[in-house]
Amino acid sequence: MSMTATTEGAAVRPRLRWGLPAYVVLVLVAMTLALVVPKTGYVLNISLQATTYAIAVLGLTIVLGLCGQINLAQAAFFGLGAYAVGIGQTEYGVNFWVCLLLGTCMAAGFGALLGASTLRLGGHYLAMVTISFQQIVTLVLINWIPVTKGPDGVRAIPRPGFLADGSTYLAFCIFMLALLGFLVWKLRDTRLGRAMRAVRDNELAAGVAGIDVYRTKVTAFALSAVLGGIGGALFAGGFSYVSPDQFSFAESVVFLTMVLLGGVASPIGAAIGTGLLILIPEWLRFLKSIPGLYLAIYGAAVILIVLFMPDGIWGFVRNQFDRFKRAAGSVLGGDTLQLSGGGTGSDMVMEVRGLSKHFGGLKAVDEVDLTIRRGGVHALIGPNGSGKTTTLNVLSGLYRATSGTIMLNGRDVTNLPPHARTAAGLGRTFQNIRLWRSMTALENVMVGAERPGNPVGGDSAALLARSRAALAFVGLEDRADEVVANFSYGHQRAVEIARALAGDPALLLLDEPGAGLNSSEKVELRDLLKRISARGLTILIIDHDMTLVSEVAQHITVLNFGRRIADGYSADVLKHPDVIAAYLGTAPDVAA
Amino acid sequence: MDLVLQLLFTGIGIGSVYALVALGFVLIFRATNVVNFAQGEFSMVAAFLMVVFSVKMGLPYWVAFIFALLGMACLGAVFNLAVYYPLRHRTYLPVIISTIGASIFMANTTLAVHGPEPEVLSGWFDTPGFMLGPVYLDNQYVLIIVVTALLVALQYWFFEHTLLGKKLQATSQDKEMASLLGIPVAVMIMITFIYSAVIGGIAGILVAPVLFVSIGMGATIALKAFAATIIGGFGDVTGAIIGGLALGVIETFGAAYVSVPYKDGFAFLVLIAFLIFRPQGIFGERVAEKA
Amino acid sequence: MLLTRRGFTTALTGAVAAPALIRSSFAQGATVKIGMVVPMTGAAAESGSFAQTGAKIALEQVNKAGGVLGKPLELVFEDDQTTNPGAVLAFSKLASQPEIVAFLGSIRSTQMHAMAPDMLKIGKPVGFGGTDPNLTKLGNPWLFRFRPNDSYSGKVIAQYGGKELGKKKWAIVHSTDAFGTAGAKALEDSLGDNGGTLALKQGYANQSQDFTPVVLAVRQSGADVLGTYFTFETDLGIFARQLRQLGVNIPWVGSPSIVNVSALKLAGPALYNTYGVADYAEDSSEASKAFGKAYREVRKVAPDNQSSWTFDAVTCLALAMNKAGSTEPEKVRQAMLAIRGHKGAEGEYNFDKNGDGLHGYNIVKNDKGEIKFDKRIDFTPNLG
Repeated sequence: MSMTATTEGAAVRPRLRWGLPAYVVLVLVAMTLALVVPKTGYVLNISLQATTYAIAVLGLTIVLGLCGQINLAQAAFFGLGAYAVGIGQTEYGVNFWVCLLLGTCMAAGFGALLGASTLRLGGHYLAMVTISFQQIVTLVLINWIPVTKGPDGVRAIPRPGFLADGSTYLAFCIFMLALLGFLVWKLRDTRLGRAMRAVRDNELAAGVAGIDVYRTKVTAFALSAVLGGIGGALFAGGFSYVSPDQFSFAESVVFLTMVLLGGVASPIGAAIGTGLLILIPEWLRFLKSIPGLYLAIYGAAVILIVLFMPDGIWGFVRNQFDRFKRAAGSVLGGDTLQLSGGGTGSDMVMEVRGLSKHFGGLKAVDEVDLTIRRGGVHALIGPNGSGKTTTLNVLSGLYRATSGTIMLNGRDVTNLPPHARTAAGLGRTFQNIRLWRSMTALENVMVGAERPGNPVGGDSAALLARSRAALAFVGLEDRADEVVANFSYGHQRAVEIARALAGDPALLLLDEPGAGLNSSEKVELRDLLKRISARGLTILIIDHDMTLVSEVAQHITVLNFGRRIADGYSADVLKHPDVIAAYLGTAPDVAA
Repeated sequence: MDLVLQLLFTGIGIGSVYALVALGFVLIFRATNVVNFAQGEFSMVAAFLMVVFSVKMGLPYWVAFIFALLGMACLGAVFNLAVYYPLRHRTYLPVIISTIGASIFMANTTLAVHGPEPEVLSGWFDTPGFMLGPVYLDNQYVLIIVVTALLVALQYWFFEHTLLGKKLQATSQDKEMASLLGIPVAVMIMITFIYSAVIGGIAGILVAPVLFVSIGMGATIALKAFAATIIGGFGDVTGAIIGGLALGVIETFGAAYVSVPYKDGFAFLVLIAFLIFRPQGIFGERVAEKA
Repeated sequence: MLLTRRGFTTALTGAVAAPALIRSSFAQGATVKIGMVVPMTGAAAESGSFAQTGAKIALEQVNKAGGVLGKPLELVFEDDQTTNPGAVLAFSKLASQPEIVAFLGSIRSTQMHAMAPDMLKIGKPVGFGGTDPNLTKLGNPWLFRFRPNDSYSGKVIAQYGGKELGKKKWAIVHSTDAFGTAGAKALEDSLGDNGGTLALKQGYANQSQDFTPVVLAVRQSGADVLGTYFTFETDLGIFARQLRQLGVNIPWVGSPSIVNVSALKLAGPALYNTYGVADYAEDSSEASKAFGKAYREVRKVAPDNQSSWTFDAVTCLALAMNKAGSTEPEKVRQAMLAIRGHKGAEGEYNFDKNGDGLHGYNIVKNDKGEIKFDKRIDFTPNLG
């Protein structure tokens, strides 16, 4: 699903204790070099360009790398920041820092607006909208002469007094790059960063895990625009001249290529990519005797990089490096998982009245009533095509009900989107496992723990402890830091359940949890469900496996052709003649 | 009124150019779910090939035309093998980047080989145009409109009434199912790329007499054609045609009655409006991705 | 795929390291170097090659005549990629080579604006061709212009249309880029002095594919004379053809691009009988004819202003250095300012205190595709 598909081999993210001090030292050295080493105007210009561009490219690390959304208008955001600093200072005499702030806000505003209006669409459409925005910004910069000075551009843009010297300014830009790079690096492991990665890896699962997918995307887009704006503002101060052609579509493509070349997954990749793409065309100037040759080589290089280095240069290096790494031994917290079961409100966790879902003329779910009592396991069964999974999808909000009401813990959730239902206390797993494959088991579960409305609260230490406890509960705490793509099917299933448990839902929906498991894994699953139930969490399970259902469920509802044909205590329902007819009428192979 | 008719003709003419290039977009998109950002460069390369064969080597027009299209067929094949095929199992994103790289490569290789001078390529006609009542009709635009209509008809017939066309359609709708049915998917995709390079080439050769032959000729047209494709709806050939025509007319009238310098902006404003209010396009399918 | 991942990585490393090796292997010769920022790639790559030819012809002539201060002159080219940041980088790359004593800037005003701060910083004479009048009013003493600025082209177009052609109602069509906007304004401002009135002023964005709305607006305006400022030849070609097709045949006086070689090739008969202001006209003087002859020997086509200004700039810089007896920037600058009556390909150079060398334009006529010199209109400069 993601650009980083092949980093899945990277089992562990290096946690280096000396990492931060080394980083600080490195940055200080770079700043000192910028200040002390005498350099020609050319070197200074190149360095300033590289540093300020890299900040804008960091923005793409967020939107593309973390959140998986394309942005072909980064040069436009870069331009907004640059023009704010340019025009603000020269025309209106506004202070540099105020201009920088204004430019950044402008970029953020446009970024959020653009994102908000179009991020419901994905892929190519987003690509096209960002291109359109880019073109419109360019046209406005060229033609709105009274304000933008038109194609002449804005010249003699000052820098703040204490940064007037080129070298000092460069050192300052390096500092800003380092600081912002550090923040972006940190962002990856925050709640927001995990949410973005979850959206990137599997949007559907992200929504169901309680992430507001749309807001997450808009945030990523706005943050990316902010970094574009800051980069542009600093660029304007550095070059002291801005004109529309510096912020054209071609430059947006360059930004995108930079982040891909370096590697989308990490701010280090952004820095590497930017550095190389500014330097390579400069180095290739020796090819200048034939016009077009070096840009042709550049174009070919872009293709080759995409073909042979899908994770960019930094991703490539990391993969080599990670081969020799082993999981760092972490302290195991053990199984201390508490499940509140959604409190002790009414007796009914969920009440469904007259629920229907029609696809055109097809009545997939037809006037179904369903009452799930607090505590215990409730099973929803029926032959193939009886509407079980559709019912589950309507309950979790992936489908909108045609009619009927759904009450969860006494609250009407019929018209809420998936993430809001999760916030209201719903947890679920999928028949075909939907984990975020490039994230570790712990990260997957942490996103679950970060469910809005989780009684554990927002304290990160508590969330981490709860996530570890959830993994311990399913017996996988020792593999917490491994990327889930490498897990066996049964273990992936367990992680998915742990993810739902970590959010401490009021009701857990399990969509065919036994599908694809071998017999010993099924035994483990049965025990797991019993343990969950024993801790007080109500479960609604769909499964074909009548053995499993009859062993764990106290209460069974049977659907056939979208209608409820039986409902009651397990033993009674399984003897019901209609149920026997429905099953025998289809396939005898009930223990699929 | 004369003014309006004249503008309308121009709008439809320029719109047909967008539509013709958009045809190529739609074909590749339908077969591979990928937007080819180098589609405009196909037009540019074909126009330059035509200049080489017809002007520099002095071949008869139709011979040069056939040679140029053969060249485009080869280019389409190479393009598929180098730019798309190795990435077919990845997401749309690397493919977009790779086609952008290909577009930079093609434009600048042409620059390196030919040099930067724009070239003149004459059309099929000796006279530039004629008056129809108060409206001046440029022969080349008339030709473009006719050829676009013919190609659309041909394409419709091909997809609906030939076995190969149906196989191509099956491939575009469900690759796995198609390969289960014994359709050689790789060959179908190859054919699609070759065909769309040729279509792009025809577009380039047709517009060359009007817009001249220059390195940058493909890029702007392709961007507009892409917008037209979205306005019309990606899944649908008719949509792309209507989208292209609509864009051409909107642009021309916008320039005449609102603002000339912002002309290019109208296309993109219309596009954004469409994406917000009617993302499925005029005729297209829903955009929303499958759950 | 024959190319393996490892192979590609190695190749990339090699490609990255190679240029440094190649560059260091060049030895430093005892020459006087002039650095030149020139488009080799991008939209203006073609004009860039003309500009290089012009400069190279001057180089050859200077060296044949004994070079500069007894040493051969050498030109160092840097590609500006036809972009402003590209120009800034190209110039700073040249500026970082201390052995370069003078520079040739760009024919594009926006690029000159972009590079101007760096040019002030380096403090060495720069000859340039951008025609935005403001460029020599920046208070930058190192800039020397080798083409007449746009305030002159506007004046000349207005005067020719009004006095020579006797037309009053003007339609002005211009590119919305810096050059077009400034030129159109200069023309508009000069109309009153020549008894003209403005019927239409219409801007367009560069690289348009269609000009029908513009042409119709010209037709509707009832103008009896057309003045234009076009930047790109392809735009001019499309406009000219559509203008004729839609039946507009009023006299047309255009900015220099109208007589540019590519424009003539592209537009063909559509530009017959138009007038253009030309800083370079082959028949305008003996010096111009001589340059034309030299250029044709090299390029087989007629020269235009893209090459004539670089020819003049290299010649004048060499002249000034020889006169100053030194390559020291301030001395060369003084010698440049002292140039009087130098007969260049573009016209007679008399540098005023701002650094403007030329003060008038040629009017030429497109006679069935042949550019015929018609008249030279010069204004008296303030040489203070």
